[in-house]
Amino acid sequence: MTFTLKYKDINEEREIPGEDFTIKDLLDDLELSAQTMVSKQNGELVIEDTVINDGDEIQLVQIIYGG
Amino acid sequence: MKCSKCDNPKVIIKREQSGQLLCKECFIESIEKKVIKTVRKEKLLDKGDKVLVALSGGKDSVTTLEIINSFREMNIIDLCAVTVDEGIANYRQDGVDIAMRHAERLGIEHKVVSLKDEYGITLDEIMQKENHKGSCTYCGVFRRTIINKAAREMGATKIATGHNLDDEVQGIMMNYLEGNTDNLTKLGAKTESKAEEFTVKIKPLREIPEREIGVYVVAKNLEVHFDSCPYAMQSFRGEVSEVINQLAEKHPTIKYSTLRGYDKIKGVLKKEFQKDYSHGRCEKCGEPSANRLCKACSFLEELGCD
Repeated sequence: MTFTLKYKDINEEREIPGEDFTIKDLLDDLELSAQTMVSKQNGELVIEDTVINDGDEIQLVQIIYGG
Repeated sequence: MKCSKCDNPKVIIKREQSGQLLCKECFIESIEKKVIKTVRKEKLLDKGDKVLVALSGGKDSVTTLEIINSFREMNIIDLCAVTVDEGIANYRQDGVDIAMRHAERLGIEHKVVSLKDEYGITLDEIMQKENHKGSCTYCGVFRRTIINKAAREMGATKIATGHNLDDEVQGIMMNYLEGNTDNLTKLGAKTESKAEEFTVKIKPLREIPEREIGVYVVAKNLEVHFDSCPYAMQSFRGEVSEVINQLAEKHPTIKYSTLRGYDKIKGVLKKEFQKDYSHGRCEKCGEPSANRLCKACSFLEELGCD
């Protein structure tokens, strides 16, 4: 079971590590704060509690930059 | 999981401060309604105003332009915009291009003013000088001066900036922590100066959390410049912001309560602490100034740009 991750220059296929793996889990793995990001699942905006399914395209957009 | 307003299962945001879940349509509507409510409650606009939006091309200024434009569509106000090009290589041009496209899309008067044209020096060049005081010091002063001048030249009666809830709460807390009562009197939804050369400034987004503005532009597919300024560094504002965001995780309403508390005491602060600056003129450029030279001209003198 895999999904495609799109974030900045990253465009890669990734394994889904377990059941009920959510976007929040993905953000934690990538050490990204949910407060500074929005997420799209197959092109649609979703909340971070959303479970990632086999074949999904997950796009992360950073909306808050420090400074 | 369903939208708290219309039961649509496609939820795009959970508001921690209220527990509310919203779908795309209800979220967009709620943001626009809230900004319009702030405009009415704080009396930010008068019929016949010409509003100049300080448009960087970032999410906050593009959202300000988008929502304030609804008042233009109702023939209540006229709208124009100014973009300041600070001269930061590999950063600013994208924002300038985006700002130009938005102005063109809406068919509004738009002016791009560069530091190079105005003062003969770019921010990159200033940062090459050995005696510089840090990028943000110059950027803030030069930008404010340019925006004020543009407002006068374009005949604007109000300047709208994209300050959001996070910006405003950071400003309140920073000034409390520094004991800066003078600056505390200057915050708020509307800032007026006794010098008539300074156009009234308004902050229509001051009740919208920064993250929600980011979600709004993505939900509405608005083209914005998402990037970090190369000169951004760890500032006191950054430290204060970090503490507030940490507190907000356990206390999600804390930004609103800080803002409400400030709004309640603002009148007293102004009465007790507002300074009555004598309004002279800058010897060099003629802009209003309490000293011989205005801030912009004294920086230029220090930098050897006379």
